[in-house]
Amino acid sequence: MDSGVNKNWSSGDEKLLLDTIDHWVENEVKPIAREHDQEDKYPEELVERMKELGLFGSTISPEYGGLGLPASIYAKIVTRLSSVWIVPGGIFNTHLVMAAAIERCGMEAQKQEWLPKMASGELRGGIALTEPDAGTDLQSIRTRADRNEKGYLLNGTKMWITNALHGNCLMVLAKTDLTAQPAHKGMSAFLCHKGAGYDVAKKLKKMGYRAIDTCELTLDNKQVVPEALLGGEEGRGLQQVLGGLELGRINVAARGAGMAEGALKMAVRYAQERETFGKPIAEHQAIQLKLADMATKVEASKLLVESAATKLDTGQRCDMEAGMAKYFASEAGVYCAQEAMRIFGGNSYSTEYEIERFYRDSMLMCIGEGTNELQQIIVAKQLIQRNKI
Amino acid sequence: MQIIVPIKQVPDVALNIKVKDGEIVQEGISWVISSWDETALEAALQLTEEAGGEVTVLSIGTAKVQEALRKALALGAHQALHIQCDSSAGWDSYQVAKVLAKTLADQDYNLIITGKQAQDSDAGLTPTMLAEFLGLPQVTNITAFKDVSDASITLHRKGDDGIEISKMTLPGVVTVNDSLAEPRLASMRGIMMAKKKPMETVDIHSLGLAPEVLQSGGLMTEVVQYEKPDERKEGRRFEGDETETVPEVMQNLKKNIGLFA
Ligand SMILES: Cc1cc2nc3c(=O)[nH]c(=O)nc-3n(C[C@H](O)[C@H](O)[C@H](O)COP(=O)(O)OP(=O)(O)OC[C@H]3O[C@@H](n4cnc5c(N)ncnc54)[C@H](O)[C@@H]3O)c2cc1C
Repeated sequence: MDSGVNKNWSSGDEKLLLDTIDHWVENEVKPIAREHDQEDKYPEELVERMKELGLFGSTISPEYGGLGLPASIYAKIVTRLSSVWIVPGGIFNTHLVMAAAIERCGMEAQKQEWLPKMASGELRGGIALTEPDAGTDLQSIRTRADRNEKGYLLNGTKMWITNALHGNCLMVLAKTDLTAQPAHKGMSAFLCHKGAGYDVAKKLKKMGYRAIDTCELTLDNKQVVPEALLGGEEGRGLQQVLGGLELGRINVAARGAGMAEGALKMAVRYAQERETFGKPIAEHQAIQLKLADMATKVEASKLLVESAATKLDTGQRCDMEAGMAKYFASEAGVYCAQEAMRIFGGNSYSTEYEIERFYRDSMLMCIGEGTNELQQIIVAKQLIQRNKI
Repeated sequence: MQIIVPIKQVPDVALNIKVKDGEIVQEGISWVISSWDETALEAALQLTEEAGGEVTVLSIGTAKVQEALRKALALGAHQALHIQCDSSAGWDSYQVAKVLAKTLADQDYNLIITGKQAQDSDAGLTPTMLAEFLGLPQVTNITAFKDVSDASITLHRKGDDGIEISKMTLPGVVTVNDSLAEPRLASMRGIMMAKKKPMETVDIHSLGLAPEVLQSGGLMTEVVQYEKPDERKEGRRFEGDETETVPEVMQNLKKNIGLFA
């Protein structure tokens, strides 16, 4: 039943912590979201505050300078933040996925070297898995790591890499053996600092999830030391990367739930303010049906997230549950954003209102951290496996 | 520099406070540190960050006030003192000041900082009475500190047309205006560290107070009833072309409130 999280967080602490997050979100995140989104401008001012708050070390163990938050509390933080703006969470999400991989699979020296600096936010990371021709099918990546006298030489192109520009390190998935069968036996993960050979080819222009740096990254003879190989053993990269996906999925699910809740809140308010045919539109049954569906999905999403997170925190198996939560909550995010658009009528199209941003941002949650099609496959496979006749 | 910050836990006024039969409905109330006391704590933290020393937060009440004290520890206070009682409901400023004075009588400190008033009662009497009972100098409603030492402090108070600057010998009592500083947020690390900080609980009956202080006879004033102000009626919106709405607004102002009559 042990899961390595700090179990000393009482409900009083949780309340205090969530109050702090609410205060920060309301006073510092909300006021800047629209402008930064519209100008595709990185929210640098939030990063310093996120360091102070300790967000970069949220799920890193206290022995490495983090807070060791249980997934259930972490998910609540992410939901609250995402109900206002999805971007700031992106700055620490993949950073924490990288840290979790180091903590789970790294050698002690790697943990000592990387985790305290990541917990403080001095090092800010991300994960570089996807390539122009490989996303869901990670075994077909082409980035290679060739051993040389100084360690490994990395070459290849990575695509859609969040935090590649404003962060200063990444975990890179590469092939150390191009001929291995099955292919994953030739894949390894490397802990990589920015520097010579690491070149952000471009910051990608995006429909939504703007303001954060998602980049095309070229690794051109990027030299790393032997100690950069995660876990010190080749051929384990894919497992190392996929092994932490439950937390990653719970995190995306929490973001979906947050977006759904944010869209619902806006819709509930607008529906009471806007009048047609002599009464607030909230009194028209067509709008009520939408609000009821949205609210139900929000509640269900939050419960699925909570249930998967609690399982993870108590050391229970939760691959199927995390998949369900990710699938359902991200779709709820899209659904609620879309329904809120309809409720806002013509104003939904105006950039004076925030709902169009939710509409643009929400779709990402269905794609990132394993597409929803993949989640459905995982859920179905698990279902059969756990119920074999 | 040793600073004492007495804090009061009050209902969160940002939420709707309900009144029934002359009493405040306790159900559904969310309890927070009175905002001026948060400013007082912020001031104390800034002073000790600058001049060294420690901040002790202090609160009187049931076990519930430990939440407020824990938050203060998470914000950076070094230790907490909880004066436990069964209920402090209905107490007046005089009683509170008496208990505080007794508690602080044998403590070591240079400065006592509080909010200039509490967010719920808005009375602003406790610190002044406390200074009197302890025989200490006091400056109220201050907006800035300067030149702090263990022996004296320079204090600014803002008036309509200028600033009054005074120097006070220490120990002494200061109350703060909320313009002094923006209270910090509790960091997650602060919340974690707060667990390791000392919180002492003292039974109010062990303080050696004169028995009448804690009885209703100890009251100098008594709140007999609470009433909610009348709800403000919703305004009316005039929508449409201004060539039509402006005359309509003028008409209404003339007719309904006799403006421009
Ligand atoms: C804004 C943004 C940020 C991102 N950040 C990062 C990052 O930080 N790091 C990183 O590594 N990646 C990142 N990604 C990439 C993201 O993880 C991938 O886009 C995602 O995994 C899908 O991969 P793909 O784009 O190659 O789609 P494909 O794999 O080409 O999939 C295309 C479609 O085919 C479906 N499909 C694929 N295989 C199957 C199958 N076996 N059965 C059924 N259906 C299938 C998919 O579900 C999808 O509908 C980011 C993407 C975006 C848009």
